[in-house]
Amino acid sequence: MLNTNIKTLRVAIIGCGKIADQHVLACRRIPGTEVVALCDREILMASQLGERFGIAACFADAAEMLRTARPEVVHITTPPQGHFTLAKQCLEAGSHVYLEKPFTVTAPEAEELIRLAESRGLKITAGHNLQFTLEMLEMRRLVAQDFLGGKPVHLESHFSYDLGDASYVGPLLGNRNHWVRQLPGQLLHNILSHGIAKLCPFLDDQLVEVVASAHQSAQLQRIGGEEILDELRVLIRDASGTTAFFCFSTQLKPGMNHLRICGPVNSISVDHASGTVIRHIKRSYKSYLTYFVPPLKNAKQHFRNACLNVSSFLKGRLHQDSGMKELVDCFYQSIRNQSAPPIPYREILLTARLMDEIFAQIYQGKPAVRALPARSTTTPVQTP
Amino acid sequence: MNSNYIISSADRILVTGSNGFIGAKVVEILLEYGFTNLRCFVRPSSKLDRLQKILAQYPAGKTAEIVAGDLLSREDCRRAAAGVSVVYHLAAGMEKSFAGAFMNSAIATRNLMDAFLEQGSVARFVNVSSFAVYSNLKMARGALLDETCALEDAPQERHDAYCFGKLKQEELVRQYGEQRKLPYVILRPGAVFGPGKRSLSGRVGIDTFGFFIHLGGGNQLPLTYVDNCAEAIVLAGLKPGVDGEIFNVVDDELLTSSEFLRAYKQRAKSFFSIRVPFFIANALCGAWEDFSKKRQGQLPPVFNRRRAAAEWKGNRYTNQKLHDRLGWKPRVNMGNAMAAFLSQYDQPAT
Repeated sequence: MLNTNIKTLRVAIIGCGKIADQHVLACRRIPGTEVVALCDREILMASQLGERFGIAACFADAAEMLRTARPEVVHITTPPQGHFTLAKQCLEAGSHVYLEKPFTVTAPEAEELIRLAESRGLKITAGHNLQFTLEMLEMRRLVAQDFLGGKPVHLESHFSYDLGDASYVGPLLGNRNHWVRQLPGQLLHNILSHGIAKLCPFLDDQLVEVVASAHQSAQLQRIGGEEILDELRVLIRDASGTTAFFCFSTQLKPGMNHLRICGPVNSISVDHASGTVIRHIKRSYKSYLTYFVPPLKNAKQHFRNACLNVSSFLKGRLHQDSGMKELVDCFYQSIRNQSAPPIPYREILLTARLMDEIFAQIYQGKPAVRALPARSTTTPVQTP
Repeated sequence: MNSNYIISSADRILVTGSNGFIGAKVVEILLEYGFTNLRCFVRPSSKLDRLQKILAQYPAGKTAEIVAGDLLSREDCRRAAAGVSVVYHLAAGMEKSFAGAFMNSAIATRNLMDAFLEQGSVARFVNVSSFAVYSNLKMARGALLDETCALEDAPQERHDAYCFGKLKQEELVRQYGEQRKLPYVILRPGAVFGPGKRSLSGRVGIDTFGFFIHLGGGNQLPLTYVDNCAEAIVLAGLKPGVDGEIFNVVDDELLTSSEFLRAYKQRAKSFFSIRVPFFIANALCGAWEDFSKKRQGQLPPVFNRRRAAAEWKGNRYTNQKLHDRLGWKPRVNMGNAMAAFLSQYDQPAT
């Protein structure tokens, strides 16, 4: 199936911060791929990555890198504010683009990039790698087999983040100029897309209701969170009546990273934390058996998940970064085979639109204010 | 005030990481020595209780400047370095990622050195590094580790981001010394302990698997009590004739890992531990490393031969250079240091 015109895919990375290591490692696990160039505005950052992975071509200027290294694919792993300009530059230079999440700062930027990619016959994708973990692949397999029995009736996505990880939150709180603080959705903007993107395959493009409510947790308030919001709940309804609930929390313990898809016949629960997929099958039991049998059946499913995970580990499929490797691999396959990209553009755009809508609601389009009290915005907004 | 110092008591001194475990003690000793023009650089999100308590104890502490900022910002570095004669650079990148450690160690140091050199009144840049930069992979067990020993040449293989950050930081400092004539001194403290730091050094053992595995055994620990370490750092910024020198910082009397753990268990808390000899630990770390390589990082190489050697192989240590060149003597002997360290466990952790 491989297009033999491209023997080895030449890959470059722009932005050599923390996440870049994962990209290099993922690329190295994909046969027929070579990371040929690294680029960072701070050349020392490119050099340190190059030194550790034996990549000699390091650049401080993206244009020079594109001209000299001529990569077929560029992974952009800079802060999101640079995504649009850099991706445009790469597409114009003829490279396919993998953009880390969030895809762009705003939905119009996302639309423009996708239009540009399509007009040039190039591929672009978003770093929604959590959609490609083993459990999500299993969920998709079930959905494709019509396990749900029709379009989902309701979806629930929980995504949590531990504020205790001071290595991320510390610098962010200490510096009003930190790039995360400059995003329209601040902390939420940088984390949210994983949880929102999981809903998008099941929602229509036309959303008739989006209601977002956000506040600051007491913990964040204590450690000096200023105007940053870290507790978010969103209710969504699409034109065909599918509803969704999204919860982002820094306070849920133990942390939840969970998706539940309720269909008209059966339902599915996916838990990223334990890598499990539980099928909820419509069955009825007589009398007290309803209290005895379903828990046993659930236990059997959990046991089966544990066995599958052990087996996947032993076979080398279960990897800390399975999601990213799978997504990158699928993206490269789509380039080689000239097939559809792994994440439909419709989903990337819907994720971006939903995020714009949420941030517009919770920050009401006004500049962020200091000493933000717990607040709630509950105005339903129709998106065209 | 010792007239042999390279600066006078009124010259401005900058201490980065001044609210940290060692940094606050450095500030205290500088005030005790009679320096009256201190600038304490802190992260904007820092809680300054420790530093403010020290500053309040000395008349000159009340006029000390506290500057909040980010060393990754060149502008903040300029504010910090303006008019400064000596920099004590203790701020450290403790991030687990290599990029994060590099950024907060090497890039931050580069920015600070540039700002320091720009402003003209440069007397000395004291760079606080760590024992983590050494590699004893090719050294025999129990061999003497001093300032001339080999540095780690594969921090990625050791899976040690902190070591990588510190190595690169040192490399830049030496480069600035050679190319831009920055007068510098590098200090490499061993395992710094004292009240305010409750955790056990990884050189003693690990509790990764739910119980404590004692790996240090009869190895000597490169201990340095926080007051002793801070005084070595202070002297490195003041003594003439040591530009371009590197000093290991360990105390005179060193305990073995077993002695340290025994004292800790008696006073701090009693817990179950298993002692694993080095040859077994090394073999297990090697097997882990091989599996990790074979499976392309399916298990991250957190245990590997380089780490086993660096932390648990065991060396002897010397502070002769510290005594000879800086005239350093430990202010607190090991008995009193251990008593002070262990006394913190009489109070619950805050």
